[in-house]
Amino acid sequence: MQKLKFLFLTKLDFSSMIGEHHFILRCVPQVLPEQQVVDLDMKVMPQACTGVFSTDSFGNQLYAGSLLAPHRFFYYRVNGEIVRDDGERRQEAAASCLRYPTKLTSPSEEMRLYADELWQQELSCLSGDSYGIASRLSEIIHREFAYVPGSTNVYTTAAEAFRQRSGVCQDYVHVFLALARLYGIPCRYVSGLPFGEGATHAWVEIWQNGLWYGLDPTRGCLADEGYIKLNVGRDFNDCPIERGVFRGQADQLQTTYMKVDIL
Amino acid sequence: MCMEDLLAHKEEINRLMARYGVKFGIYKNGTFKERLFPFDPIPRVIPADDYAELEKGLVQRVTALNLFLKDIYAEKKIIKDGVVPEEFVYRSPGYLAQCEGILPSKGVYSHISGIDLVLGKDGVWYILEDNLRIPSGASYPLIARNLCRRCSPDTFRQNKVVDNRNYGQLLRETMDYVNTGGINVIFTPGRYNAAYFEHSFLAEQTGAVLAEPDDLFVSNDKLYYRGNHGTIQVGAIYRRISDEYLDPLCFEPTSLIGVPNIMEVYRAGNVGLMNAPGNGVADDKGIYYFVPKMIKYYLDEEPILKNAPTFLPFYEDDMKYTLEHMERLVIKDVAEAGGYGVIFGRDLTREQLNDLKETIKREPRRFISQEVIDFQDLEIVEGHTTVMRKADLRAFVLAGETVRVWPSGLTRFSRRPDSFVVNSSQGGGFKDTWILSH
Repeated sequence: MQKLKFLFLTKLDFSSMIGEHHFILRCVPQVLPEQQVVDLDMKVMPQACTGVFSTDSFGNQLYAGSLLAPHRFFYYRVNGEIVRDDGERRQEAAASCLRYPTKLTSPSEEMRLYADELWQQELSCLSGDSYGIASRLSEIIHREFAYVPGSTNVYTTAAEAFRQRSGVCQDYVHVFLALARLYGIPCRYVSGLPFGEGATHAWVEIWQNGLWYGLDPTRGCLADEGYIKLNVGRDFNDCPIERGVFRGQADQLQTTYMKVDIL
Repeated sequence: MCMEDLLAHKEEINRLMARYGVKFGIYKNGTFKERLFPFDPIPRVIPADDYAELEKGLVQRVTALNLFLKDIYAEKKIIKDGVVPEEFVYRSPGYLAQCEGILPSKGVYSHISGIDLVLGKDGVWYILEDNLRIPSGASYPLIARNLCRRCSPDTFRQNKVVDNRNYGQLLRETMDYVNTGGINVIFTPGRYNAAYFEHSFLAEQTGAVLAEPDDLFVSNDKLYYRGNHGTIQVGAIYRRISDEYLDPLCFEPTSLIGVPNIMEVYRAGNVGLMNAPGNGVADDKGIYYFVPKMIKYYLDEEPILKNAPTFLPFYEDDMKYTLEHMERLVIKDVAEAGGYGVIFGRDLTREQLNDLKETIKREPRRFISQEVIDFQDLEIVEGHTTVMRKADLRAFVLAGETVRVWPSGLTRFSRRPDSFVVNSSQGGGFKDTWILSH
């Protein structure tokens, strides 16, 4: 069991006035038996923003809001305290769609061949043990990929990232999901806040015998009780932390910060 | 039948339609072109008894398809019971996981269904495909009938043709039924859409407001229309824009023609959204194979209308059959629509046949194969004589409080004598469809 204190904020500065701004925030930690939210505060600015909380098809909490009036910045902050305890996980079923590829995680021919080879060389001995296969796969991706910020963008597919063997956490995760699903392992994209300071992170969860297990292919480790889960989905597109559209000719400057401390 | 009078008016009717702007838009090589949709005055005539059977069959089919959609986006019993393999659901481009768990207003998914049929030489109607997303085309026969009636009133005095002028009424009742409080809106992406003419026409017929993307916005889980006299809440929206562009915050993020956060309004149950997003999972060419099984599964009835004999290479026996008889089958790519991705085995060279066989072996889930139905040709006027052309029928079925078939339909014929493809995206024209009242 671990008690965590977290802070996450993002500010968007626009170079000129914008309006008709509509957004979705998925920035609130999921409430789960293994992740109790003890204290939570959320703030969205400008003050005139209005919105409504709801739950999406993947069980994520979201805040859908808008600000029609002209404004030059947008800010949201969430902070609070969490108790993480993986011993409290409850049995649940995995949605079938988590075994099928999406646009972002569709495997290329190259990936299929790679998956076949990997199976024969390293994984077939683990046949039947989804968790064993997945953790080996996570280590392999961690080892073979280079973390290169700027080498990809949010639209980069697993196939593209795989080809260049580099990317950021989102790409590591997409490559993992594409390969693991070729082995028939139900798995999902997770976005959230890991222990430490800096930016939001993405990792994976794989399902075996009714339980979800967290793995972090980017860092090559388990995504354990130091990780705060915000959202899950089939891929990044299902659960971005923030998405927005607005009207106006403006460049935007994004500043983001997050910090998770162990209490 | 007193047709001469009507036939004499062919040119006049086409001229009037051109003047009213009855056009069909088409994107070709990246540019948008509008062209007239040629009207042929010889109607397709469906006797009352035949129609009664058709009507029963269409109501049955659309009822089952709605139950399927409700099941797929919630309990998925039909998958668990092994009737539909999950592959065909989760690999379908029309399946939208973002719609999981959403129950639309009054539980209706496919409010307006366009069911395409052909009449075989054996006198049997066969279903070609179901269109449950945003089937277009109802306005053409509606307008044509109106003009025919005006040009040749005697024809309609002497033939007992069921009045089809109630389409607007049916559509309005459907909208009212799912309306959650507010005005009815027909949402068009704008005048550069292939069916813009129809959008504005249907707005006029139903008394709904025609809205373009800028006219609508979401605030606190409610949808609003910006009117000349302030904003008004929208209770039902018949959107003539495809799922992927509907909401940039839920689907395609670069869409400029959608309404941001409309999916949240829909999820909250604060608007009737017609047709429901995600319906593509039920009109997929692969799922088509399973519709007769759905009818048995959900309704415990025998299907009244037949599918064209269809094979799924996904199943081993069907794969074998498809490969062995490819020369006489029609092969369809399940991901394509609008008459594209339809290949007749008999048109292929030996080499092309072999290539296609390899592709099917590699990607069995991507294709279906069907026997080519020898369907009845219809007469069309050409110059001073008549010639025979292939034709199909799109029947419009509206699901509101009850499921009802519009006693009319869009009969499309192919432009070229040898063509079996009658989709309006591929050229060709249309006819009025007469349902006889006795």
